[in-house]
Amino acid sequence: MSARILTRANPSVLKQYLSRAGSSPTFTRSTRAAVPCASIFTLRSPLKPPTGKLYEGHIPISPLQRTILAVGSAFTALANPLRGDMVAALGETTSGIFLNRIRDQMLQDPEGRRILRERPVITSETMQLDTLRQLPDGTFGREYVRFLDDQQVSPDTREPVHFVDSEELAYVMQRYRETHDFYHTLTGLPVTVDGEIALKWFEMAQTGLPMTMLSSFFGPLRLSSEERERLFNVYVPWALENGSTSKLLMNVRWEEWMEKPVEEVQRELGVQPCPQV
Amino acid sequence: MAAIRFQSTEAKAAKEEYDVVIVGGGIAGSALACALASNKASSTLKIALIEAFDLSNHIKWSPRPDQYSNRVSSLTPKSVAFLKKIGVWSELDQSRVAACEGMQVWDGVSGARITFDAANVDGVQSSFLQQVFSGTVPAPPGVNSTTNQGPQDRTYMFNTDCRSSLLTIKLDIFEKTKVQGITVEQGESAQEPQADWPTLQLDNGKTLVTRLLIGADGVNSPVRSFAKIESLGWDYSQFGLVATLQIDPSTSTAPGQGKGIAWQRFLPTGPVAMLPLNNGYASLVWSTTPKIAQDLKKLPARDFCALVNAAFSASSAELEYLYKNIGPDGQPLVDFQKEIEWRTSVHDMEASKTMVRGSSSQGDAKPPKVVDVQENTRAPFPLRMRNSSSYVEDRVVLVGDAAHTVHPLAGQGLNQGLADVECLTRVIEQSLLSGSDIGNIHSLTPYSSERFLPNLAMLGTVDKLSKLYNTDFGPVVWARSLGLTAVDKMGPIKNEIMRFAMGLEEPSNRS
Repeated sequence: MSARILTRANPSVLKQYLSRAGSSPTFTRSTRAAVPCASIFTLRSPLKPPTGKLYEGHIPISPLQRTILAVGSAFTALANPLRGDMVAALGETTSGIFLNRIRDQMLQDPEGRRILRERPVITSETMQLDTLRQLPDGTFGREYVRFLDDQQVSPDTREPVHFVDSEELAYVMQRYRETHDFYHTLTGLPVTVDGEIALKWFEMAQTGLPMTMLSSFFGPLRLSSEERERLFNVYVPWALENGSTSKLLMNVRWEEWMEKPVEEVQRELGVQPCPQV
Repeated sequence: MAAIRFQSTEAKAAKEEYDVVIVGGGIAGSALACALASNKASSTLKIALIEAFDLSNHIKWSPRPDQYSNRVSSLTPKSVAFLKKIGVWSELDQSRVAACEGMQVWDGVSGARITFDAANVDGVQSSFLQQVFSGTVPAPPGVNSTTNQGPQDRTYMFNTDCRSSLLTIKLDIFEKTKVQGITVEQGESAQEPQADWPTLQLDNGKTLVTRLLIGADGVNSPVRSFAKIESLGWDYSQFGLVATLQIDPSTSTAPGQGKGIAWQRFLPTGPVAMLPLNNGYASLVWSTTPKIAQDLKKLPARDFCALVNAAFSASSAELEYLYKNIGPDGQPLVDFQKEIEWRTSVHDMEASKTMVRGSSSQGDAKPPKVVDVQENTRAPFPLRMRNSSSYVEDRVVLVGDAAHTVHPLAGQGLNQGLADVECLTRVIEQSLLSGSDIGNIHSLTPYSSERFLPNLAMLGTVDKLSKLYNTDFGPVVWARSLGLTAVDKMGPIKNEIMRFAMGLEEPSNRS
């Protein structure tokens, strides 16, 4: 029985609380926050949001609010992993260094730069799901749509980004979530708790950051011993080996790989399909 | 130039006797010659100055308005006061002297910033730093004292007062002359008068023997090797790149369009600094890895300027990408301008939408944009830290770079050298007035005791700073940014730092 750990748009009390708590006094312009990483390291008041609204869906929160939200969403997500909005909030409130690092890695690669420049968005329209369903079996696009249909989800059900204080980093977060389904198609990992955790290990091996592990520290606690055994004996070794040798997946323009066979995509990206247990 | 010690007592070919021989006609050596000449007690000494390069070009120099050398000397108020005292300052072409009234220094990873303003330092009437610079091309003869070297890239200073009073003092200048060997006698024969005086063999066939040998001959000092003084320290895995830039002051957001403001940004690969000159020119000193320094030298001018602008504004990840895309022949593999423009537009768009509530009424000031780099002014040199185990030996004393070498990030090297010269002049004066032998090591130890510790302190501080900022490791960046921002807000501490850097804080300030 697989549990769905996809992020879904879900109205939440917490969001309403936050929009109430945010205020809009008069501001003065400053270029300080535009410097990468500045907000993490410089002194600033814990009670005031560092920026105004930067993009559609942005909810600026103060450092104090951020801490409360991080702790609260962690507990809620642990209690109920189906709360996609809580998982998203946890990810966003703790994501500072993680997103910066991914964006910097993307800046080193010409394909990654192209993605950052053009900012492609993945929705059911841009992906043209009906066209993909017409593709022959075994192509990446066809398997991707099969995966979506099996799970009964669509690319439109992603929780939008709210708590990231930079427009470019918010795009990186959004792309990271949108491409998640492609990772499943690429690796063949199931959408179970242990499958998701294995994927997190894969990402950690790719990016070199332990932040990806944050949300999966709690996951194994809810697994049965059999599932845990499978996770650590089969999936994790596979994830570490493949994650470290494959091309950085955030740099991949998935939209252009739809018509290729899955094996070719796996070969070109340096990923072996995960062992089926 | 090995130090050969003989046991013979036979006289060699006719030796010329001097009281003082200064090896090295750089700024330190020349300033010392002028100082000794202008000091009443020492003006009766017979002095020789030996310099390997041709000085005549430099003596007959006059400024060309569009040509600036890449060798810029940054002088602290203490050094300026000394130069005034020995009569050199008034002889400088003032169109080639630029005052630096303030500094903006910030962290390239976190953006934490500290600003220094000379006007805020207590009890100081002068500017923070003076930049002295000049041109490269020798011109028709004219009396001038600020000179700059030609293709050999060093700066000399001569005092016309000094030269006119050469008739009264015996200053012999041996230019285009190298020292082939320095010898001294040992053993029983050393008991005879003048037997223990160092003897120099010059490549023009002359032999000089001197009461006091002064090594002002730079970091690889042969005088130091002769005296068997060890030079301790290490090489930084960095090269410094200097260049003369043409800037557009209207692009700076600092008050007064950034006139007279020096900018320094600490990147993880090393600090990049822009020092203000006159007439829309600036001097660049960029300390970075050896490979990047060589690539920077080879880049076409347009891409080099774009990269310098990026060095002051882009993140280190963005700069990494650009460094990686310089081909082996120096040609950029991507369009630098376009890439930098894109990244700048992303930052600017974020900045325009970012509103920060707070008391700070101004954003961080930006340095002026570089529009051009002067041809043939890009030159890399290795960076190292050295201190001699001793500054004095029997009849030998070291000044300037021969004694100590420091990282250029704080602009202190030359100023330390001039402080050495000032102290040595005083010490020699004291010896003369008390009738002692100026070359005797006991007459020289006051110089060593006065200069050794301050030099060591400066070297150590600058070295720690360069190591602190040479990393982008998270916790270190966080700690140093916190410290920097805190110090920026603490006036008295900032004041003390400025006074230390300007040379106004001396334990025994005699002048």
